[in-house]
Amino acid sequence: MQEKQTVLTISHLNKRFGTQEVLSDISFDIAAGDVTCIIGASGSGKSTLLRCINFLEEPSGGQILFHGKDAESGWRRAEYQSKVGMVFQSFNLFSNMTVLENCVCGQMKVLKRDRKTATAKSIFYLDKVGMAPYQNARPAQLSGGQKQRVAIARALAMDPEVLLFDEPTSALDPEMVGEVLSVMRDLATGGLTMLIVTHEMSFARDVCNRVIFMDQGLIAEDGAPSEIFTKPKQARTREFLSRVLDR
Amino acid sequence: MQLPSTFFGWVGFLLEKYGNLFLLGTGMTLLISLTGTVIGFLIGLLVATLRTIPTTRRTPLPYKVLKNILNVLLNIYIEVFRGTPMIVQAMVIYYGAMQAGLIGRGTPVPVVAIFIVSINTGAYMAEIIRGGIISVDKGQKEAAQAIGMTHWQSMLNVVLPQAVRNIMPSIGNEFVVNIKDSSVLNVIAVSELFFMSKSAAGAYLRYFEVFAITAVIYLILTFTVTRILRLIERKMDGKATYTILGSQTDSQSAITIHPENREG
Ligand SMILES: Nc1ncnc2c1ncn2[C@@H]1O[C@H](COP(=O)(O)OP(=O)(O)OP(=O)(O)O)[C@@H](O)[C@H]1O
Ligand SMILES: [Mg+2]
Repeated sequence: MQEKQTVLTISHLNKRFGTQEVLSDISFDIAAGDVTCIIGASGSGKSTLLRCINFLEEPSGGQILFHGKDAESGWRRAEYQSKVGMVFQSFNLFSNMTVLENCVCGQMKVLKRDRKTATAKSIFYLDKVGMAPYQNARPAQLSGGQKQRVAIARALAMDPEVLLFDEPTSALDPEMVGEVLSVMRDLATGGLTMLIVTHEMSFARDVCNRVIFMDQGLIAEDGAPSEIFTKPKQARTREFLSRVLDR
Repeated sequence: MQLPSTFFGWVGFLLEKYGNLFLLGTGMTLLISLTGTVIGFLIGLLVATLRTIPTTRRTPLPYKVLKNILNVLLNIYIEVFRGTPMIVQAMVIYYGAMQAGLIGRGTPVPVVAIFIVSINTGAYMAEIIRGGIISVDKGQKEAAQAIGMTHWQSMLNVVLPQAVRNIMPSIGNEFVVNIKDSSVLNVIAVSELFFMSKSAAGAYLRYFEVFAITAVIYLILTFTVTRILRLIERKMDGKATYTILGSQTDSQSAITIHPENREG
């Protein structure tokens, strides 16, 4: 297999809230096309890590490199954030806009696309997630699964190089989890670089090519799903997996 | 000439004789309060957005210092204008500007009046809008930021439209307050409704009858404005229905959904 290009480098990332250290010395690389899942107990810092990577939270220390350039000084913040997109647990669709406007707005304001191009692109991705028929609906009129699919289309319409997902199915009713996971599965097959925080262990096992296990703000274990799920090296990984897998 | 002897007689007489004054005064009151509210609203939006500019760990120090100074100045502005009566602000600004030579005999008083109401309303609006911004789910701003919108873009396109919707009742209330409180501007002799009423009352010394009429006019103004604002609020909620496009090309296959009929 040929060497894949590194897109993101997280280097000695630290995050403190007051005196509480939530992330300690996190380092890892993400290569183009990688689908990486982050698993770990509640409070281990998974969300904080994603939020720091997208700069929704200011890191307290360390560095993030995007294509080898410092993400804070080498890139305009807006440019970086449009290339490293984020999908939230609570969808966060703009509730003052229709589904279509949700996807169009960022493209026009951030990427300066004209309305026609932005609309075409939006409809392309809405179609891909099966939400094109609902383009005139408002977020409040959609189910959770539909909202999340729109949120994914909105992120994709920005042509991101990396997409971060923070527990995209945790706020969904069980019968809607499948529709969102299947969209994400398609994206993985399509070669999109993704970093996914999830509690869906079967998804992590089947779709990701790498699993990072976090424990108390540290990366405890990092490897292929086959290794982590079948022969974890660390006792705490084993303990966590036995807890979540027999649910 | 025979002068009236009853209350309604006087009211009819005064309306006939001074109807013009009442009309002009009402027009001026509306002009000052509407313009003042709109400009005050814009000031409020600007102040609230300036106060929420974020800084990062890479923000240069001079910029951070400047931002803090700006915040202090904005806080002083809000405290001063909320903490003193508008009638006093009117005197200080009008005569202060006069002494400083910023305005002269030729300056139209309504312009000064609108300036005073605007800057006074701006201070209240800034706080109202701050409340509105807090009322908008934090996730909205984060989602805008996460796709690369700047602070101004996310405020303008996402946060403020929702904040404003949430605080529409308070904004309307400011307008109603301004209709009533612009009456204090009679101290700088601007020809609004109260000032005009005083002139009308003075001629025959019929203060009770004239100000009964004035009260009714104020009441009609505030009542009408309140109703109109209620209508606008309802408009801002957006359409309750939406259309599912069954096919991109065939509009016949579209289905309109009324949420109240929707299952679940
Ligand atoms: N804004 C904040 N201020 C203070 N502490 C915070 C803040 N955000 C997160 N924390 C703390 O940081 C720690 C990690 O939180 P984080 O949300 O990253 O965990 P998580 O792994 O995503 O958990 P979950 O699986 O429940 O989502 C927690 O102890 C949390 O209380
Ligand atoms: Mg989390």
